[in-house]
Amino acid sequence: MAGAQTHRLGNGGLVDRSAPLNFRFDGKAFSGFQGDTLASALIANGVKLVGRSFKYHRPRGILTAGSEEPNALVELRTGARREPNTKATTAELYDGLEAASQNRWPSLRHDVMSVNQLFAPIFVAGFYYKTFMWPAKFWEAIYEPAIRRAAGLGRAAGIADPDHYDKAWAHCDVLIAGSGPAGLAAALAAGRAGARVILCEEDFVLGGRLLSDGGMIDGEPAAEWISRTLAELAGMPDVRVMTRTTLFGVYDGGTYGAIERVNDHLPSPPEHQVRQRLWRIVAKRCVVAAGAIERPIVFAGNDTPGVMMASAMRTYVARYAATPAKRIALFTNNEDGWRTVETALGAGLQIAAVIDARPEISPAHRSLASKGGFPVLHGSVSGVDGGKDGVRKIAVSLTGGARAEVEADGLAVSGGWNPAVGLTSYHRGRPKWRSDISAFVPDGAPPGMVAAGAANGDFGLGACLSQGFAAGAAAAHDAGRTGNAGSAPVADDEVFSLTPLWHVAGKGKAFVDYQHDVTASDIELAQREGFESVEHLKRYTTLGMATDQGKTSNVAGLAIMAAVSGRSIPETGTTIYRPPYVPVAIGAFAGHHRDGTFHATRLTPSHHWAVEQGAVFVDTGLWKRAQWYPRAGEKDWLESVTREVKAVRSGVGFCDVSTLGKIDVHGPDAGAFLDRVYINTFSNLAVGKARYGLMLREDGIVYDDGTTSRLAEDHYFLTTTTAKAGLVMQHLEFCRQVLFPELDVQLTSVSDQWAQFSIAGPSARELLKQIVDESEDLSNEGFPFMGAREVTLRGGLKARLFRISFSGEMAFEISVPARFGDAMARNLMLAGAPFGVTPYGTEALGVMRVEKGHIAGPELSGTTTAADLGLGKMMSTKKDYIGRVMAGREALVAPDRQVVVGIKPTDETRRLRSGAHIIPKGQTPGPGNDQGYVTSVCFSPTLNQWIGLALVERGRERIGEIVHAHDPLRGEDYDVELCNPVFYDPDGGRQRG
Amino acid sequence: MRIACSFCGERELGEFTYLGDAKPVRPEAGASEDEVFDYVYLRDNVAGATSEYWYHGGGCRAWLKVTRNTLTHEISSIEPAAGAGAAKVGA
Amino acid sequence: MVEFSWVSRSPLEHALVTGTDGARGIEAGISLTEIRNFDLIQVMARRGQAAELGQAAKARFGVAVPDAPKAVRTSDATLIWSGPDQFFVLSKGGKHTMQTLEPALSGSLSDQSHARVLVSISGAKARTMLAKLSSIDLHPDAFPVGAAAATSMDHTSVTLWRGGDRTDGQAVFNVLMFATFAESLWHTMLDSGAEYGVDINHTERLA
Repeated sequence: MAGAQTHRLGNGGLVDRSAPLNFRFDGKAFSGFQGDTLASALIANGVKLVGRSFKYHRPRGILTAGSEEPNALVELRTGARREPNTKATTAELYDGLEAASQNRWPSLRHDVMSVNQLFAPIFVAGFYYKTFMWPAKFWEAIYEPAIRRAAGLGRAAGIADPDHYDKAWAHCDVLIAGSGPAGLAAALAAGRAGARVILCEEDFVLGGRLLSDGGMIDGEPAAEWISRTLAELAGMPDVRVMTRTTLFGVYDGGTYGAIERVNDHLPSPPEHQVRQRLWRIVAKRCVVAAGAIERPIVFAGNDTPGVMMASAMRTYVARYAATPAKRIALFTNNEDGWRTVETALGAGLQIAAVIDARPEISPAHRSLASKGGFPVLHGSVSGVDGGKDGVRKIAVSLTGGARAEVEADGLAVSGGWNPAVGLTSYHRGRPKWRSDISAFVPDGAPPGMVAAGAANGDFGLGACLSQGFAAGAAAAHDAGRTGNAGSAPVADDEVFSLTPLWHVAGKGKAFVDYQHDVTASDIELAQREGFESVEHLKRYTTLGMATDQGKTSNVAGLAIMAAVSGRSIPETGTTIYRPPYVPVAIGAFAGHHRDGTFHATRLTPSHHWAVEQGAVFVDTGLWKRAQWYPRAGEKDWLESVTREVKAVRSGVGFCDVSTLGKIDVHGPDAGAFLDRVYINTFSNLAVGKARYGLMLREDGIVYDDGTTSRLAEDHYFLTTTTAKAGLVMQHLEFCRQVLFPELDVQLTSVSDQWAQFSIAGPSARELLKQIVDESEDLSNEGFPFMGAREVTLRGGLKARLFRISFSGEMAFEISVPARFGDAMARNLMLAGAPFGVTPYGTEALGVMRVEKGHIAGPELSGTTTAADLGLGKMMSTKKDYIGRVMAGREALVAPDRQVVVGIKPTDETRRLRSGAHIIPKGQTPGPGNDQGYVTSVCFSPTLNQWIGLALVERGRERIGEIVHAHDPLRGEDYDVELCNPVFYDPDGGRQRG
Repeated sequence: MRIACSFCGERELGEFTYLGDAKPVRPEAGASEDEVFDYVYLRDNVAGATSEYWYHGGGCRAWLKVTRNTLTHEISSIEPAAGAGAAKVGA
Repeated sequence: MVEFSWVSRSPLEHALVTGTDGARGIEAGISLTEIRNFDLIQVMARRGQAAELGQAAKARFGVAVPDAPKAVRTSDATLIWSGPDQFFVLSKGGKHTMQTLEPALSGSLSDQSHARVLVSISGAKARTMLAKLSSIDLHPDAFPVGAAAATSMDHTSVTLWRGGDRTDGQAVFNVLMFATFAESLWHTMLDSGAEYGVDINHTERLA
């Protein structure tokens, strides 16, 4: 049974008392209400201790009521959904919620690691650098594991996230961050002007500080104004209000990142729904109405549970009807802090005292104090007596030097307000100092962005409304929406008065950055050691580097640095601001792209037929390709591949080669164009003929190869390798559009139009005769080697037939329109049945090309020239082409270049592996005598041994030499003989048939 | 980042591929090795406005010449790159 | 002699299962319909001949060829802009094929009938679902009937255009995608639409 909500007010607040919710924290049962956050529900149950600090394991409570929270981080949910470092202050309560405190052992109340506090002297700024310098080998073995156990935050689930995330785009005229008075007024103005508006609010309720602080707008209570405004916005079809959505980043060209926590408020997302959605929002204008963050004052014991930001304390009381303390003291240096006193008194809570650092307070507050019967002490809090059970007593240094003590169980602190300058500073804008409010305000905002209201340093309700409204109207106007925005909502401005106070000297640890346990003395030490620049200060002390990015700590930290280094705060300056504004789950960035949908996949036209055949598939770039087709009884891939190779060499086989890039090259200058992009000549290719072509990059290195056929006077059909298909198209378009605009040539990718099959083997022609119309002459005379033409298939289907060979056998490639690819595979099986036709995969294809000494990806490595590949003779001397001049450079034609050569192990039973280095026989392997490496290997069923290709210095001059293969990766050393790379049918008689 | 393709209008960065400096012009046939070497390798490292090639491969397949400020990422002009790298015969 | 049958098989034949996918018990917010067996010819103007091609095309189709990202309906075809000085001719029933268009249009023609898969997307949540796939602004003001885009979905090139509205007033978005990517993109579409409920169909009829 859940405990009673001992710290819940009897009425008021925005919680739904008719909807109680049960939850557990560290295994203990509690209850709260719909509308609670985990933090407000814990407070309502009197829980003060919620976590242990990062370094010293100090007991910590709840400091804030928003996304700036540094202390109250929990592990939310269990099992695969466990999410560490979740802010209790923003986690919405749901029935069955389970949360656990972090960084404590064995329990939150009895944490062994809190002994770290005793070693505090060694945990000072830069302690990693100083303490664990040597001996070096101790770092990995001892120091790092020890530190990782002792310091840290929550634990990741360690199991794959079962939930789905997605990503979406949105477009608008005016994007608004925040739904406080400024944001709502901006939305109203922009919406009325006819703009397409998106308003993002990270909270689950709209209204911002109005929800906690109330006020009168247009003569009515804020709550009523909010509902009237929301109703008006809801009536505008092009205004989209998104709750639970944080605008976290600003990118170039008016692109913004936002994270929508679609279903984080439920135990798990409903079926077919996502947990979170990442939004990329394109906006013409952006109004930042993200408000301001109240800042702490640094004093000894300021991290004691029960010390809370004044604005947070009144949020818990007013919005959640939860009481963080029964007897509250306020420590403030400004007028705004007093609103907490008003709220607390209104809720019937006791005020112990107000400690005000200003020399004067207003008569209204003086009379409030006398009516409330509490003292106003002019001075500062210098220490807190308390511990894990919270605040007990507060020590006060009075102006003039006297001391006082206040008994209280809660201390509200207000050091003033810092505008949320994150979004406006993400394009390296540096906020500027405004001395009248002692705060940095936005400056140098990205193009199209403007801050309004508290985010702009104007905190009064009236100013927020009028600025927000004006900014919304101007943004709409700039976006070309000129409708009548009407008049701005009106409210009075509160009195503003603040005496800057950052740090109160005292005994004991005074925390600046709660989450990273950075104290005022750490900053002073950093200054003494010379780390005065804010960027150095940040890295040396880790100030502001925790998951909260120093939202409550950065300004105080640099104010302290300014004081000790004798500079002003603006001289000290701020660090660079970078997105994301709040942590964003990696899952949201990945979206749909995980596991099997990590990337888009391409399937060949015969894919599903190959699946039926039981093919094993390999990922080749985005493609799934049939790697081999295992048969019953075959014990491994090698047996299957060997069978496939033998079947092709002795009979006939076929392979889907549709993955090759295919490009239609059209136009009267198509031949001239190809002459400029290939090293060899294509303008003189006869219609009906194919030719092997090689392309260089402009730097003279080989780019790609493939067969190109001339189908008509002004139409060539060019093929590329599978890997380079897209890149070659891009390169050719560059040549066509940018380099050679005078040529009349057009390019179209037809890669997906044609299903292309290689049919190879001595029986290839016989098989084809079964499938093409009997009128087609396939004889050597009627269709010679390197022929290319359209043929009619039995049944009337038109196909393209090419007599080209990669395998070294009599071979054809046949293309049919892709939707007939599946039928083609099935018909090849039928037609080839009398000849024992065998489908083969990429492995057998690879074996046969190595046997034949054909180059492929491993040899087209981006370092080889045409001559290196043995294709130097193809380089035309009669024309200019891409790469011609650079290919002639001294180093690229040097006689000692590594060139393609065949290798065979001297021990015929040995397996070869690619990657092994080639070393002269008898020498000790080393960089000085490394003469190349093995690029491709295979077991050759034809030669019944392993063979390979290698790039070897002067390799072609050294045929017959025995060299040493050194494979340090696999610990292998053996001898190989350099040989002709064409292992099979070197005079090519078989392919010419 | 968004690029306003001369043919398609404004599109997100993911539809484009960057190539590099759009200033060098391909030397005409017969140029010396030094001239070609400069064309292939010699680049200014500009802090400020620079022109560069972008390919709208995820769209209309047009090559574009984009003038972009490397300090601010501000794009000041975009035009089709047609002929931008072509040898200036007789120049 | 063996009898060969040449069965045309859509790249989506395996993945597309007619019926409902995703959320049930609600009226499906998405309707996905594959249109099968169409003729699609890419026509590119020869260098400097865009005007001549435009005239020839106007004579053939009776309408001006789109010279900006738009799709134009004729009585028996849709002409879709596919890049500078180029367009697609989409039709059914062999009315506009390589054989019939090559003599009529003086340009560079490539048959793409088998290179693409055509899916039409409509329904109350069509735009919401497409926002997960497309970076294009599909608001009716920005992408009215007849608007077209050569763009990408899931890092894959597509041609997207807005056809005539359905009889119930719902917008219809047509996506021409590369055939070898189609199954993958189809699954991405189903994933994107799952939360709204997806009605799945295929047809031989060009809307």
